[in-house]
Amino acid sequence: MPRIIVCLKYAIDVSQIKVDSATRKLLTADAPRKISDFDKNALEEAIRIKEKHGGEVIALTVSSENASSALREALAIGADKAFLVHDSTIQNSDTLVVSQILAEAVKKFGSFDLIICGEASIDSYSGQVGPRLAEILGIPAVTYARKVGLEGDAIIAERSLEDFSEVVKVKMPALLTVTKEINEPRVPTLMDVLKASRKELVKWSLSDLGVLKEKVEAIAVQLLEVSAPKVERKKVRIEGENPKEIADKLVKALIQDGVLGG
Amino acid sequence: MVFDFTETEEQKLIVKAVKEWCERNLTAVRVRQMDDKGHPYPKDIAEGLAKLGVIMGTVPQEHGGLGLDWKTQALIAETIGYYDPTIATAAGFMAVETGWGYTIDRHCSETVREKYVKPAIRGEKFIGIGATEPVGGSDVAGHKTTAKMEGNEWVLNGEKTFISGTEECKTWGGGYWVNARTGPLVPEAPHRNITAFFVPIDADGVEVIEPYKDSGRMAISTGGFVLKDVRLSDEYRLGEVGKGFYHTMEGFDNARLMIGASCAGVIRRILDDAIPYIKERKVFGMPLAKYEAIQFELAEIYMEMEALKLMTMKTAWMQDIRYAEEGLTVKVSEAKTFKPTEVAKWISMIKWKGPFLALKAAEKAMIWLGAAGYTKEYLFEAAWRGVMSYVVGAEGGQNIQKIVIGRELLGKEYVPYK
Repeated sequence: MPRIIVCLKYAIDVSQIKVDSATRKLLTADAPRKISDFDKNALEEAIRIKEKHGGEVIALTVSSENASSALREALAIGADKAFLVHDSTIQNSDTLVVSQILAEAVKKFGSFDLIICGEASIDSYSGQVGPRLAEILGIPAVTYARKVGLEGDAIIAERSLEDFSEVVKVKMPALLTVTKEINEPRVPTLMDVLKASRKELVKWSLSDLGVLKEKVEAIAVQLLEVSAPKVERKKVRIEGENPKEIADKLVKALIQDGVLGG
Repeated sequence: MVFDFTETEEQKLIVKAVKEWCERNLTAVRVRQMDDKGHPYPKDIAEGLAKLGVIMGTVPQEHGGLGLDWKTQALIAETIGYYDPTIATAAGFMAVETGWGYTIDRHCSETVREKYVKPAIRGEKFIGIGATEPVGGSDVAGHKTTAKMEGNEWVLNGEKTFISGTEECKTWGGGYWVNARTGPLVPEAPHRNITAFFVPIDADGVEVIEPYKDSGRMAISTGGFVLKDVRLSDEYRLGEVGKGFYHTMEGFDNARLMIGASCAGVIRRILDDAIPYIKERKVFGMPLAKYEAIQFELAEIYMEMEALKLMTMKTAWMQDIRYAEEGLTVKVSEAKTFKPTEVAKWISMIKWKGPFLALKAAEKAMIWLGAAGYTKEYLFEAAWRGVMSYVVGAEGGQNIQKIVIGRELLGKEYVPYK
């Protein structure tokens, strides 16, 4: 019966970010946070595997914020236990540091069979944490999985790549990152929500994992600016005698701008 | 006194789950289809709501519910009102099934609970309230339905009209809370000698009449039924013999609380749909929202909505304490004693305020948007038609609410009608 760890990012809800119209700066500090969308797919897939094969699902979050409400939601959705590594030092950490901390947490759990992450996070969308974590732990990483099945001690996954898909088989322990189309995450029932309050939610600090704050701070990334792209309309008016002439002019203009291939 | 308006983590997650479910299942398109098509209420939505756990959430867990408190159930009703502003869902499953279902569960036998309450919580059957008679709803003295004990059975005769959910109940199975006179009419105290019963819709002698052609909340039916020598064992009695009026007032309290909460949701939805339009639509060179004629009305409705929400939450808080005092397991932060009539006053205030305010919000939104607001592209007109059912008297006439408020302010001797 597989022991599955699901990594959940407590991400900025990008649909609710406001932009300062004068400076174009994103007002991220005021934006609410939530479980990153793709990570919900990861959680759903883990629960489906558990429902079919048994085992245990552990939700794991590393955050500078108090993400306990998100983890409580993960417990309502179906995780058996949740662990939050919470430390304000992590605030300026990049994917390298986050994956190192995740790796330390995974080591503290002891044995596991599968780690599932979303293909990327909705806010920074680097897609690096999953593969980095696998590398640190020395296990195979199967990225962009859109279909997953268990066969004995191996995982069979269909990977969604740019122009084609491929099916791979890897022995567990392994790490998967999953795409949005792999499943539709369930909505927890209210009874699930009530039961979640009785499930285990453990909070760890960096020192609980033996990670030195100074080390984390030393390689912190300083984010200088995040701003919204300036979008200006070209305001080109295409006129002509008839629809064909107008269409021809439009196509020519689009080719000139590189929107369409010549 | 402790003032803390923070929702608990559990309440936040419950509301989030209800929102997510509604965003998938009670979309504006689906609600429009439901309103256009009319009853019966879609079974898939009813079963989905039941599986989610929102129907009769306050019923204790050992009776098949979730044991939620009324504050949490009010937050749920508000969310349901938001996503279905036609109020078909709120009327059918919050006011009727939750408000009355909970009250039925409090007063019913194990037989009724197993055969009707639990299946209704699971979304399989429909249970509701059949209070109104051809003479009216609140004029209890005029009610003609009777129940007489013959051998070891009650025999009921009478007629109930303007009853929510008769078609759903007939199709899915279920039954109704029905009051009947079980003793002589006492002119100065007509509420005495009334006993409540649970009448299965398929009991011999129950004849369901054709549903009415309503103006609004089209997805849930309104009909009635005639009782001709309906024989029920004593297991179908609800509460004590002769105490039916008091038990019924308890049911109205629960249903009206759900109405206040769901109306707050309807109003918020109307504002959320109208605000983007009035900010974008320009006339005479500036957005509609810049005109004070509109902006001030918006500000007033918003203020009143927030007042309604505060009043609703206070009422729910009182209701939790009222039930806690009776020894039920509800989570309350502070123990305080209220007379049930004091709770009823607050419930009447939100039953009066909620529907009138929702009606006003829908009307104003239509006027702000002009011709666009009058079309079925928006749900304003459907909300207007729907909440009107509460204004005209569903779950108690609006002026009756004022009589209750007046009674509590002035004393019983100033009640104009018995």
